[in-house]
Amino acid sequence: MIGPLIKGLSITIRHLFGPKVTIKYPYEKRKVYPRWRGKHVLKLGEDGRERCCYCGLCEAVCPANAIRIYGKEDPIFEKSDVGKIAEIYEIDYRRCIFCGYCQEACPRDAIVLTTEYELAVDSRSKLLRDKEDLTEKR
Amino acid sequence: MLETVILTIAKIIIFFAVLMFFVAYGTYAERKVAGGIQDRIGPLHCGPFGLLQPLADGLKLFFKEDITVAKSDKPTYYIAPILAVVPAILVIAVIPVDENIMITDLNIALLYFLAVSSLSVYAIMLGGWAGNSKYPLLGGLRSASQFISYELVLGLSIVCVAMLVGSFSLRDVVLYQKDMWMVFKQPIAFICYMIAAIAELNRAPFDLPEAESELVGGYHTEYSSMKFAMFFLGEYANMVVSSAIATCLFLGGWYAPFSILPFIPGFIWFLIKTFLIFFFMLWIRWTYPRVRFDQLMGMSWKVLMPVVLLNILVTGFIVTFGR
Repeated sequence: MIGPLIKGLSITIRHLFGPKVTIKYPYEKRKVYPRWRGKHVLKLGEDGRERCCYCGLCEAVCPANAIRIYGKEDPIFEKSDVGKIAEIYEIDYRRCIFCGYCQEACPRDAIVLTTEYELAVDSRSKLLRDKEDLTEKR
Repeated sequence: MLETVILTIAKIIIFFAVLMFFVAYGTYAERKVAGGIQDRIGPLHCGPFGLLQPLADGLKLFFKEDITVAKSDKPTYYIAPILAVVPAILVIAVIPVDENIMITDLNIALLYFLAVSSLSVYAIMLGGWAGNSKYPLLGGLRSASQFISYELVLGLSIVCVAMLVGSFSLRDVVLYQKDMWMVFKQPIAFICYMIAAIAELNRAPFDLPEAESELVGGYHTEYSSMKFAMFFLGEYANMVVSSAIATCLFLGGWYAPFSILPFIPGFIWFLIKTFLIFFFMLWIRWTYPRVRFDQLMGMSWKVLMPVVLLNILVTGFIVTFGR
């Protein structure tokens, strides 16, 4: 009866002086792997035109219905190389579950999930992110 | 005469301040040890290494809303938190920190300790009753039965020591241990004392009166703000005082272990030993799960009581025929 009690005490004392797993979060950040699914970004092509061509696959595949997309024509090929771009591209971060299906579904690698994970904002309306917010900054 | 009064008042103030310091940093130590054992860090933000955390906690409790339950038993409701703190503070009157540093050398110090410390059960019982709520009441009732059972073991294990020393004065008890600590002469009494003390303090693994998982918060569920803080203050003050008494009784008070390092003053040794026992209580709390209530009572009446009574019998034979 005494043996297990002492064994328990020895385990806890080893943990008391052992390494700690705490990350002091605001001061040190968690190590993020490249495949981490964080905030979305709408990629631009190498020529600076948008890759997204309004196929709507991401909206269709999204299990949380977080994506709303509406397209328009771009007849002079100013912003797109196929003549169609998304006029509205909204992701509702109140609904998004960061499953990454939109990235998998996208045939042109236009939408990509980045490693950025600090997504808290001070009002709920800011969680509805529009196209301007999501488009890659160059 | 006047000099004695002033000196005594100064001593009381110093002892009180040291006790309160120990209590405040007892909560800090508790949180650090809890964190460490669970591979966490513990308090970190208030001051260097979070050392100002007890201060921040105290301030927070001051500014909380002081709720009085409408249908409570008002006088009892107000008296219970006071009763939680006062007995623990009263006990420091008899604790000898060094050969000549103590508030008073009472010749019945051990009886005084038992009498005063058993008053704190009233705080828990009345606090549980006054809130007019079922969970505190259950906690208070459990506490009452637990106290009565373990009070006997505590008292009897102290009797073992008093029989050898032949005096109830704590100073005499420590002086007796100059060559050999009592823990080597009375190991069974020491173990019984520690188990009973932890049970008396409502500490895990015997914290049935405040078992969070079944009784919400136990006897202090209906208390808030400073009244709640008083209960906690009393609990930690009781822990410190129990550790100090255990140091006097079993660990040779102010004497250095095996007469090494004699240049370190006695009261430092006393504080170190007190802290070690305090740390042991924290260590126990974060290691063992809570026992079931019938196991708790069974352990007191079926195991500890016969063992400590047998120990008294053997000690009696030794005292009578051994000399």
